[in-house]
Amino acid sequence: MTNTESLENVVLELRRGVIVLAALSQLSTEQYGYSLLKQLADQGLEVDQGTLYPLLRRLETQGLLESVWKLEEARPRRYYIISAEGKKILPKLKKEWADIVSVMKKMLA
Amino acid sequence: MKLIDRYVNEVGKRLLVFQGREDIEKELRSTLEDMLEERAQKTSKPADEAMEIELLKEYGSPEQVAMTYNPHPYLIGPRIFPLFLVIMRIVLLSTTLGMSIVMVIQLITQSPLMGSEFTEILGNGLGNIFSTLISAAGYVVLAFAIIERTVPDLGISKEDFNEKWDPASLAKEPSPDSVKRGELITEIVFTFIGLAIINEIFYFPIFSDEFRKFVPWINVIFVTEILLDIYLLRKAVWDTATRLVKIVMEVGMIAIAFIMLKTPNLLIFTADTFKHIPENSSLGAEGFMAIANLSISIALIVVIIVSAVDLGKAVIGLWRSNRKS
Repeated sequence: MTNTESLENVVLELRRGVIVLAALSQLSTEQYGYSLLKQLADQGLEVDQGTLYPLLRRLETQGLLESVWKLEEARPRRYYIISAEGKKILPKLKKEWADIVSVMKKMLA
Repeated sequence: MKLIDRYVNEVGKRLLVFQGREDIEKELRSTLEDMLEERAQKTSKPADEAMEIELLKEYGSPEQVAMTYNPHPYLIGPRIFPLFLVIMRIVLLSTTLGMSIVMVIQLITQSPLMGSEFTEILGNGLGNIFSTLISAAGYVVLAFAIIERTVPDLGISKEDFNEKWDPASLAKEPSPDSVKRGELITEIVFTFIGLAIINEIFYFPIFSDEFRKFVPWINVIFVTEILLDIYLLRKAVWDTATRLVKIVMEVGMIAIAFIMLKTPNLLIFTADTFKHIPENSSLGAEGFMAIANLSISIALIVVIIVSAVDLGKAVIGLWRSNRKS
């Protein structure tokens, strides 16, 4: 494995860890998968669709998201929104994230 | 059919999920159509097949896409893998040992220990061992792959094998109640071999009807032994109940072996038994009969001694644990 590949893998792992928090934070209003993907990208977080869609399904299975199919412009779209359970854990996740950032800032200073 | 539809179908075929397959396909189709529409708008051109091809190439092969949805990207997952390794070792070891012993017995009783007949039995024996090992390994893998997908909770977790281990135990003397896995696995292997031999799964022309009268009783003890050992492998410690079962079993084994020792004519000898002894051999039919009868007496005495030692260990263990409590 080359250095570039190793770096890419580590970066991928780092980003993968924050996608759950990023997705939950953006789903206070309902969105379908592709619109969420674009919204995350617009804010600087590029996520591979192969990662995001299975993740949304998993979060729904875990009860952190809810989804509903809607027909728009003759095209069915599955809209996701954060569930009551998701709303409960989101502040805790945010706090956890803030703590990690604070620790890492100190560590890397 | 549009290229996107064909692509979605291909992904669907490769999905290993049983529930929500249609949902995944529908969502994938909708996403791809959104992406295609966006590209068409950006280039101010209507979407065409070339654009679809470019999009699908970027999205990835159907195999790759399906893999991201599959909850079990492995045949046997980490949940049951440690148990799989234990069972696989037991099965392969017992198969190899059992078949090797049978091959050696066949070589001794059915060949003059040289020449083409000897080579043929040896070759066939080794070939059988190899093919049986492959089949046995295949069956174990198949059984565990089915368990992985159908049994949600085996009551066994990875932690049972790893994380419940207490580093503090390193400083202590080993507990007299803890089981020795190596001993148990060896015992399972040899009990399987014993079962195969006494039930004449492999043909031995010397067991008499007198011998066969004991077989059902020995079977009960051997099967109990195997079940107890598997239970102990899982539980990792002896307790009062398992020690009592062991004591009853060993007493039973000693009694049976003792009665067998007193029973004449456990082996029967016919002309068929001696057909492989070379005519010029210094060991004649009478010599062979004497050695065979002596061997079975020695084997029964060994069984009585081994069972008595195990019985003693179980009784002492039971006494110690009751005294502690």
